[in-house]
Amino acid sequence: MCCPGCRAVASMIAGSGLGNFYQQRTAYNERPSPEAAATPEQYLIYDDPELAATFTEPHDDATRSARLLLGGITCAACTWLIEQSLSRLPGVQRALVNLQQSRLDIRYDPSVLPLSEIFARVETLGYRPRPFQANIQRQQMEQEYRIELRRLGVAGLGMMQVGMFAIALHAGDIQGIDLRYQGLLRGVSLIVASFIVFYSARPFFSAAWRHLKQGSLVMDLPVALAIGLAWGASAWATFSGTGQVYFDSVVMFTFFLLLGRFLEHRVRQRHTLTWFDAQSTLPAAVSAQREGQWQSIPRMQLQDGDRVLLKAGDTIPVDGLVMAGESAVNEDTFNGEHLPRSVAPGDTVYAGTVNVEAAVEAQVCGSYRDSRLAALQRSVEQAQTEKPRLAKLADRIASWFVAGILVVTSATGLVWYQIDPQQALWVTLSVLVISCPCALALATPAALTSAASALRASGVIVRTENALEALARATHLVFDKTGTLTEGTLAVARVIPLGQEDEPRILRIAAALQQYATHPIAKAFSEISAAGDFSAISYQVGAGVQGRHNSSIYRMGSEAYCRELSHALAPAPDTDLYWIALCQDQIPLAWIGLSDRTRVEAPAVIDEAIRAGLAVELLTGDSSQQGPLLARQLGITEVNYGMQPQEKMARVRELQARGAIVSMVGDGLNDAPVLGLADASFAVAGATDLARTQADFVIVGGDLGAIISTWHKARQCRRIILQNFAWALAYNLCAIPLAAAGFVPPWAAAIGMSLSSLLVVINSLRLNRRFPR
Amino acid sequence: MDSLYLLIPIALVFCVIAIKLLLWAIDNGQYDDLDKEAWRILADDDPPATTDKIEQDTDTDNKP
Repeated sequence: MCCPGCRAVASMIAGSGLGNFYQQRTAYNERPSPEAAATPEQYLIYDDPELAATFTEPHDDATRSARLLLGGITCAACTWLIEQSLSRLPGVQRALVNLQQSRLDIRYDPSVLPLSEIFARVETLGYRPRPFQANIQRQQMEQEYRIELRRLGVAGLGMMQVGMFAIALHAGDIQGIDLRYQGLLRGVSLIVASFIVFYSARPFFSAAWRHLKQGSLVMDLPVALAIGLAWGASAWATFSGTGQVYFDSVVMFTFFLLLGRFLEHRVRQRHTLTWFDAQSTLPAAVSAQREGQWQSIPRMQLQDGDRVLLKAGDTIPVDGLVMAGESAVNEDTFNGEHLPRSVAPGDTVYAGTVNVEAAVEAQVCGSYRDSRLAALQRSVEQAQTEKPRLAKLADRIASWFVAGILVVTSATGLVWYQIDPQQALWVTLSVLVISCPCALALATPAALTSAASALRASGVIVRTENALEALARATHLVFDKTGTLTEGTLAVARVIPLGQEDEPRILRIAAALQQYATHPIAKAFSEISAAGDFSAISYQVGAGVQGRHNSSIYRMGSEAYCRELSHALAPAPDTDLYWIALCQDQIPLAWIGLSDRTRVEAPAVIDEAIRAGLAVELLTGDSSQQGPLLARQLGITEVNYGMQPQEKMARVRELQARGAIVSMVGDGLNDAPVLGLADASFAVAGATDLARTQADFVIVGGDLGAIISTWHKARQCRRIILQNFAWALAYNLCAIPLAAAGFVPPWAAAIGMSLSSLLVVINSLRLNRRFPR
Repeated sequence: MDSLYLLIPIALVFCVIAIKLLLWAIDNGQYDDLDKEAWRILADDDPPATTDKIEQDTDTDNKP
C-alpha cells in the first residue's frame, strides 16, 4: 500500500469478497491519484437524461445499455473485477468489459440504479470511467482488426487444404503419379490458392503498389512479387500441364506473414489510448449562475460571459476572468511547476488548471476552442504530424533485396536460355520462388512482437510501431523534471531551528497548522503526526496560515507574512529550496525548506545513460533555480528551464535538425506535445492520460530504471533483427545458386522456406526473456 | 482412385462451410477480445465471499 488511493481501492476490493483479483492479475494496477479522483457528485451530471442519451440506448423493457470507456485497465483480471463487482449491484442486468478497447458495456435499469452510481462504483475500484463516444478512428481500428482476422483465418484454413493436396503432389513427384490425378490435384489447389491470393494476400499487393507509386521500395514489394509470380507460374503450369506448381509455398507464405503481422499489431493495439484528448481532463459538470441561482450544468452548455463558481480543488473548466474571491491556481498543466500562482479579481485563469486555495467566481471568456488548453491539444496534433518517420530497417533492406533478386533471376534466365531454352522459364521461376522473402519479411515483426511482450511483462507498454527501432538508435535522452526525475510533490528537505524548539517539535507544530490548509505545501506535512490543538485558524490566501494554541499565536507562511508578527525573523537562508517560516508570537521558531524529492533511482538511471554514451538533457517548465540545481546533482550538463510546451518542442526540433535521434521522458500535460514529437518517448508512472497517448512507451511500474532496460531491450531487438536478416540472406545466398542450377524441386522449396522462417521466429523468441538484471 | 473426383469436392465443401462459420463468428464479435476469453475460463464465477459478509462489512462501516 503506497497511498490513500491504493488503500481505498484495496479495502473496497477485499470488502466485497473479490480478493481473488490479487491472485489472478498478471500486471500491477496503476496507482490511483487521490487528488485527480472525481467525487461521486461530479458523476450526478450523467443522470441528466439528455446527456445520458449521447452514450446510452433504451431497450423495450425500460432498461438501458450504456458504453463507458475505462482508463487504467491493465490486465484480464481487471475485467473480471469490474464485471463481478458491477453485476452484484441491484439493477445491473449484464456487465461486459472489452479488454482490448477498455470498454464497458452495461445493461441496467435506470429506475433502480442511476447511471452516476455505476460511474462512482467503477471509480471506487480504481479505474477512470468516462462516456464512450463513438469515433471514426476507433471504429476503423475495430473494423481493421476484424478484417485482418478474417484474412488470417481464411489463409489458415486454405493453407491446410492446399497443404493436403501438396503432400499428394510431392509424393507423386517422387513415386510417380498418373497425369489425370496430377491435373485434378493441381486444379483444386489452384482454386483454393487463387482465393487466398486474391482475398488474404491483397494487403501486400495494395501496400506494395501504393509505395511504388510514391517511388519507395518497401518490404511488401518483394513479398507481393514472390506471391504474385509464384502463383502466376503455378497457374500457368496447371493449365499447360507442364513445369512445377508452388501453391503450397504461396499459401504458407501468405499465412505466416499474416500471422506475424497480426500478432505484432495485437501486441501494440492492446493499449492504444487514441481516444484521449486534453478536453477530457475538464469536469463534465460546472456550477454556473442561471437566473440568479447557482446550478450544476453540463460544461458544454456554458456560454461566453456566464458566471461560474470554482470551488477549491476543482479543475477550472474554461478560460475565465476572476470576478470575486482570491485564490491560487496550480498551473502545472502548462509549466510543470507545483507552486501555485495567486489570483485576485481581474486575473485570468485557464481551463485545465486547478484552483487550490479558495472558492472564486469567474466570468467565462470564450469557448473551449479559444482556450489555452485547446492550443495545447493543437500542438499535440501538430507534433504527431511532424514526428520524424525513421526509415524501417526492413524497408531499407527490401530495396537492396529486390534489386539483387531481379539481377540474379534475369542472369539465370539469360544463361539457361543459352543452355536449354525449354527449361529456361521453369528454372527462372524456381529461383524466384526459392528466393522467397518469407524469413526476411518475418524478421522484423517476429522480433518486435517478442520484444514488446517481454517489455510488457516487465511493466513497459510499447505503443507505436517504430518505437523500438527508433529507441535503439537514440543519441539523446531528454528528461522533464517535475514528476519525472522528481516525485512531483513537495517534501520537507531541511529544518533550521531559530528558537529553543527542536526539529521534531517544530515539524509537529507545522503539521498541526497545515492540517487546515489545502495548499500543495500542506501535503508535505501530511505524514507527520500533528501536535497541539489550534483554534481561531485563519488562512490568508497566498501568504500563510495562523492559529492560536495555549494563548500564543502561531504563524506559518511567507517571509513577509511571518515578519508582520515577529519582526526579528532572519531572511531566508538561500534560494535553493522553497522556504517557509514558522513563528510563535514575536519569536521566530524555524525556517523550513521544502523541495521536490528526487526519485531514488534517478541518479543511477542518469549515470547509466551517460555511461552508455547518450547525451542527457533536462527540459523543464519550472523557471526556478531548482532545475539547474537538480541537473548539477545528477551530473546533467545541458539544462533548459522555464520552458513553455512550444519551446520544448522547438528545442527537440532543433536537436532533430542537427541529426540527433531524440528520446524524451515526461509525464505532464505540458509534456504531451514534445512526447509526440520525439523519435521515441516514455511516459512515466503517474503520467497524465494525454502524455500516455503521445508516448511510444508507457512505464506502468514506478521504476525509472525501466528506461534503461527498455533501451537495452531495444538494442537487443535491433541485434536480433539484424541476425534474422543475416540468416535470411545467407539462406538465399545458398539456395539461389542451387535453384539457378535447377536442383531444387518444389517440395524442397517448401521445406526450406518453412525451416528458415521457423529459425527466424525461434531466434526472435530469445527476446522474450526478461531483463538480464 | 476415381473416388477422388467425388471426395475432393466434398472436402472443399466442408472447407467452405468452415470458412463461412469462421467469418460469421468473427463478424459476430466473438474474436474481438482474445485476451479476456482466454483468461475467463480460469476465473471463478462465484468468488468464495457471500453476500452476508458484505452486509456485515457495511454494518461495521456504518457504526458511528
